[in-house]
Amino acid sequence: MGEKRTDLLRGTLDLLILKALSLEPLHGVGVSRRITQITKGAFQVSFGSLFPSLHRMEEKGWLEAEWHASENNRRAKYYRLTSSGRARLKAEERDWKELVKIMRAAVESA
Amino acid sequence: MAGRIVSLFRNLLRKRAVEQALDDELQSSVELLTQEKMKEGLSHSEARRQALIELGGIEQVKEEVRNVRLGRFLDNLARDLRFAVRQLRRNSGFTVTVIVTLALAIGANTAIFSVINVLMLKSLPYAHPERLGTIYLRATGSSVSNERAAIDGWRWELLRDNVPSLISAVSGGTSGVNLQAGSRVQYVRDGRVSARYFDVLGIQPIIGRSFSVDEDRPHGPKVAILSYGVCRNLFGSDAGVLGRAILLRGEPYAVVGVLPQGATTPGSSDVYTPLQPSRAGEGGGTNFDVITRLNSGASWEQANAEIQRAWEPVTQSMEKSNPGAHFMYYSVPLHKGETDTLRPQALALMLSAGFILLIACANLAGLTLVRVLRRAPEVATRLALGASGWQIQRQFWAESLLLALAGGATGIGVGFLALRGLLSLLPEHFLPVASVPLDPRVLVFSALITLLTSVLFGMLPALAASKLDLRSSMAGRAVAGLGSVRLRQALIVGEVSLAVVLLAGTGLLIRSLIHLETLAPGFNPDGVLVAKVSLDDVRYHDPAVFRKLLDESATAMRRIPGVEDAAVGLSLPYERTLNDQVMLSDGKEAGLQDNTDVVYVTPGYFETLQMPVLAGRVFSDADGATAQRVAVVNQAFARKFYGGTNPVGRYINQDTLIVGEVTDVSVSSGLYEGAPLMSEQTMYIPAAQVGTGYLSLVHVWFQPDWIVRTAGPVEGLSAAMQRALASADPNLPSSGVYGMKDLQARTLAMQRIEVALLGAMAGLALLLSTVGIFALVANLVAQRTREIGIRMALGSTVSQAMLQIVRSGAGASLLGLLVGLALSAGALRVMRSLLYGVDVYDGPTLAAVVFILVCATLAATTLPALKIASIDPAHTLREE
Repeated sequence: MGEKRTDLLRGTLDLLILKALSLEPLHGVGVSRRITQITKGAFQVSFGSLFPSLHRMEEKGWLEAEWHASENNRRAKYYRLTSSGRARLKAEERDWKELVKIMRAAVESA
Repeated sequence: MAGRIVSLFRNLLRKRAVEQALDDELQSSVELLTQEKMKEGLSHSEARRQALIELGGIEQVKEEVRNVRLGRFLDNLARDLRFAVRQLRRNSGFTVTVIVTLALAIGANTAIFSVINVLMLKSLPYAHPERLGTIYLRATGSSVSNERAAIDGWRWELLRDNVPSLISAVSGGTSGVNLQAGSRVQYVRDGRVSARYFDVLGIQPIIGRSFSVDEDRPHGPKVAILSYGVCRNLFGSDAGVLGRAILLRGEPYAVVGVLPQGATTPGSSDVYTPLQPSRAGEGGGTNFDVITRLNSGASWEQANAEIQRAWEPVTQSMEKSNPGAHFMYYSVPLHKGETDTLRPQALALMLSAGFILLIACANLAGLTLVRVLRRAPEVATRLALGASGWQIQRQFWAESLLLALAGGATGIGVGFLALRGLLSLLPEHFLPVASVPLDPRVLVFSALITLLTSVLFGMLPALAASKLDLRSSMAGRAVAGLGSVRLRQALIVGEVSLAVVLLAGTGLLIRSLIHLETLAPGFNPDGVLVAKVSLDDVRYHDPAVFRKLLDESATAMRRIPGVEDAAVGLSLPYERTLNDQVMLSDGKEAGLQDNTDVVYVTPGYFETLQMPVLAGRVFSDADGATAQRVAVVNQAFARKFYGGTNPVGRYINQDTLIVGEVTDVSVSSGLYEGAPLMSEQTMYIPAAQVGTGYLSLVHVWFQPDWIVRTAGPVEGLSAAMQRALASADPNLPSSGVYGMKDLQARTLAMQRIEVALLGAMAGLALLLSTVGIFALVANLVAQRTREIGIRMALGSTVSQAMLQIVRSGAGASLLGLLVGLALSAGALRVMRSLLYGVDVYDGPTLAAVVFILVCATLAATTLPALKIASIDPAHTLREE
């Protein structure tokens, strides 16, 4: 595990976490696995970055946390997007697409 | 936003619950990962191991999460402060030294600044104080001066009538009188003020009115305005006081007004009566103080132009009698006028308080530096474990700040006590303000200097900590490099040099005081007792009544058993004397006019004081009201007017014959600016020949003295003197009986205060510097115990080892002494105006300063060095 580590672009971690949580509430490990899944294994987020980000976003009110029983009946802390978290996700997606468009134009220009 | 505030409070207040939740979350994550890995077929222990590796360590993740939490900064601060408190408690000796040093330094600064605050920064307690002024006279050319002008009746009338930009008023000084209302009698301060005086100050009586212009005319009605306090004491503050009669100076005055509670005036009196100024009598001399208020719409330039135009005849006549001089009157803010004379002293004190603060900072920097170096291994360990430089620095700053806060808080308490002590030193009504509070401005000042101190003494250790060499510090060796000793020695040089300046300044003031106290008095003060009595009473305007009182009371006093002689005089040696013009009437000096001190005396005055008679005779009972008018003059008079030739037989003031010459005595300077005590030309006249006009005037300002001479202490003399006075007039209040030494001390009160205050500062500076030297040497001994042990094992003697250590402290101190002496040579020149009979470069003072400093240095260096004698080489070597 952890052999393919790509450094995340600053600011992209938030977007990935929001995206990962947009389908259903997940616990920390679940978020990590979901990010690996949706990036097709390209990104593996270290827990040392993931947990601080989750807590920071929770303090900002983008996420809400609840303790639930997990799939195998262990208690785990599940994070869920709040309405302001959803708004944030939309804004981040829009900014990202904008950035990609600009970067692509720049890179492909002669 | 609300959510974030909730989070912040939860993070700070429910720390344990937050931490517990984080721990739970991470533990559950580890379990989730472990299960995941067990599904892949790993054993439980292997799966758990891999899970922990993937997570990257529970504690590390926790620290990362904590770092992003809200309130992290406050959290760190609290932790630093808690750590600082623990550190400081462990080193209680260091902590107490630092706090006491700070408390003394900040206390001294707080106290002195409170005085500066009222003298220079606070505005006067009147409405629109910026529109209040007084008038200064600047002389240039052949005579140079610049000071507040007192004015006479002529100038007053010109000012009142021809300067429309200003509302002006004059006052004639404040004197103590007995106030009688019905059966109640109270000793009060009576301020004699002109009409509009309260208008200028912006004070409106709460009951009644101010003095009218009619009441302020010469021989106008006798009316009075009471302060709120006196009115309440006498009448219980009812409105029925208006029009009631009170007795002042034995005459009835009608109350026309009562001032509001808390209202003060520059003269801070209890009762006010109309000055009724004119060009005659009191108004014939410059006896009035002016205050002015700028009318709305007018400017000070305009007012000055009007004053200069109105007083043109005045300045012309002044320039005529002082050829080559040029005079100009101009307005000055009242606040400056009221406090001008005290400013140099106050500033000098503030400067010395600043010195104390610097000395304290230098000491504390030295102490904390040593402490940082002693903690080098600890710091190095923390650095090696991953603490950042900033975290270490933050720790030292937290400790400095905490110490400064504790010292500052204690310092404000000390300052409050010091201020109370300082104010109790000052004579009553000495400061031109009612109170000296520790107001917000003073507290802000104290807080600022506390902060400044913590920066000044915290900077050095923080810098030193940032330069620590990790490897050598970890090894616990090389604790204090040569550099830090050099630095500390430099600090000692600085503080000792400042202490030397203060010591030298104090020394000069003490020498001045000794000079003034040991001036040849010109009479024999031993065994002379004085009772001062106010004759400011209309009955004693009659020369016959006055003569009778003096005769009868002096005779009664002479009959007291144990009394050798008794007399009455206005005034005594050491006192300020009435001065008047005298005209020489014969010989080549005929027509010459000048000022002289005038003293009236009863026969027996010269015998009672045992003043040597140099020529001719002194007065006898034969020099009565109808006899030939006679005078006795002193040496200074003969020297000034007759070139030192025998004055006996000469005439002055047309018909007055000089019959004798006596020695000079020390008096408070009145004619000349100079030392507080000096000899001035004086003419003595018999009390029996004093005229009516004189009597009605002089006792408003001056109280005559009854003096007796005794061979030794006399039981109950004070009461006997009171009885003797009462036998002549039962209604005469006396000041109580005191000795000539008390009179001298009262004259030199200002000099004593200066010596006491600067002395306290210098003592404090010396104490702090000595502590600094002591700490340096004691510390060197502690650091070098091993080295000394080795040296002694190799054959060095105890005294050699001691000498080596002592040298480092003594050398710095002596260098400081030299620097300080050089500084004094320049700095103390500003003190010249405060010195009498001693030069700024005074040998004995310098010798005393050197002696004191050498003693202090010896004590501070040898005491800690004595510990070297107890070093056991075998023991220290085993410690290796």
